[in-house]
Amino acid sequence: MLRIYYRFWQVNWYEQWQYRANLLMYLAYWLVSPVVYLAVWTTIARSQGSVGGLTANDFVTYYLTLLIADTLTSDITVHLLAYKIQDGTLSSELLRPVHPILTNTLVNNIAFKALVFMVLVPIWLVLVLLFQPDYSMVTIQSILPAVPALMLGFGINFLLGATLTCLAFWTTRVYSITEFYFALAILFSGQFVPLQLMPPLIQRLAAYLPFQFYIYFPVSLILGRVPPETIAWKFALGLAWLAVAYALFRLIWREGLKRFSSVGA
Amino acid sequence: MHALKLIQTFLKVNLQIALAYRVDTLVNILINLMWLGVELIGLQIIFSNTDRLAGWGPGELVSLLGVFRLVNMLMASVIWPATEKFNTSVRDGTLDYTLIQPANSLFLVSFSRIIVWRVWDLALAIGLVVVGMRMSARDLASLTGEVASITSLASLAGFLVLVASGALVLYSLWVVLIALTFWFVKFDNNVTILQALLDSGRYPATVYPPWLRIIITYLVPIALATTIPMQGLRGDLSALQVFVFMGVGLASFLVALRVWKAGVRQYSGASS
Repeated sequence: MLRIYYRFWQVNWYEQWQYRANLLMYLAYWLVSPVVYLAVWTTIARSQGSVGGLTANDFVTYYLTLLIADTLTSDITVHLLAYKIQDGTLSSELLRPVHPILTNTLVNNIAFKALVFMVLVPIWLVLVLLFQPDYSMVTIQSILPAVPALMLGFGINFLLGATLTCLAFWTTRVYSITEFYFALAILFSGQFVPLQLMPPLIQRLAAYLPFQFYIYFPVSLILGRVPPETIAWKFALGLAWLAVAYALFRLIWREGLKRFSSVGA
Repeated sequence: MHALKLIQTFLKVNLQIALAYRVDTLVNILINLMWLGVELIGLQIIFSNTDRLAGWGPGELVSLLGVFRLVNMLMASVIWPATEKFNTSVRDGTLDYTLIQPANSLFLVSFSRIIVWRVWDLALAIGLVVVGMRMSARDLASLTGEVASITSLASLAGFLVLVASGALVLYSLWVVLIALTFWFVKFDNNVTILQALLDSGRYPATVYPPWLRIIITYLVPIALATTIPMQGLRGDLSALQVFVFMGVGLASFLVALRVWKAGVRQYSGASS
């Protein structure tokens, strides 16, 4: 099995490597909004000392860490898979004796991520020079638990993304559905603002939804802002969401395939 | 008028294209409304934590969001589709057929493909500007205790002039960027920088750190079409400044026209 994943990795790595010019484009596009939010919130924090207990430096470190966490947990399955379902090219992958999504699509996602990360690092260092964050609260003990948290975040994001993409078996408007999902993620993941500044209702909802594992939870772990007594229960919640996402994906994949074979061939 | 007649025809053709996909049009409008909701929630969160953002009140930011969406709409309905069509036509040589048509080539390239449903955004954008202005007026009235006039006619006229000249500057930048494709055929990421930075127009440029402010004021002047017109509406700018910005708009358009003409002369065709 490991050898299979290794082969998929080689193929997908070279495939992604071809598009490295597009990558810079994608990064530029995706970097702007966190930097904009960073500027907005540090301006407010500076004008009144702090916002909801967060200082200007808290915002700078939050958004700069967010850039890393977001890259690591993001998922591009809809762009890799939806068109294959729509034009039928998925059939050739179905002939292989392994699950196409849990091998090929997954590894392609990771290859893309690795490449983006390589390009992000130098840009990130420039941003650190520009914004001069004080990262003294980050320790080895705060980074270590963030590693499984980031993997958990990516796992959930990937499985939910794959589940939504599989709706392409039924409808051609799958991109509209994922756009709705992205909007929810922006609100509930902490992408826009650290969740503790959200209105109480959204905060209470966000505490149970899976989106916090994409950004807010791992970022808060790295910055040492999660109270130690809640860490265990957050991980338990994350694992529960991972299980739910996996079950949903299995279900929709099985039902979708039935439809695919009846109309695709 | 020749140009008006052409625009009319383009609109008609594009309306027919849109009507072929009625449900998609409806879904697109709904998604558009959803993003508006997200943006308004964002402003709500900002102003539940502060009274003013770099001196701008909530009403002014709602108006700014309106101006931003206006610019965004022009981009999404005209500029991005035109770019896509242009880049393809340079690569496969169909641009030759545009160039031999008896009308201005830049005009044809810019306006032959229009995403019609986006016009809906125009109404929404104007609505946001008006609502924002009324909110600011109410804020002001509650502060000073007297009913303030929303805004003077002069600053409103200045605002319209500034939006137009800001849009003209962005359009000129776009013309230069796509004209570069005549020299560098592989340069089909030509408008990315414009697309990427557009999002920064949502908030006043004064919020950003100096390096970013310089980029979006001088290099990729998004602020010229968003922040500056709003400053005009607030009455921050003098009449002289408004005239200067108008001059900048016209001058950049003239430069862009020259670059375009030089580009077309340079172009050797790919179809034959």
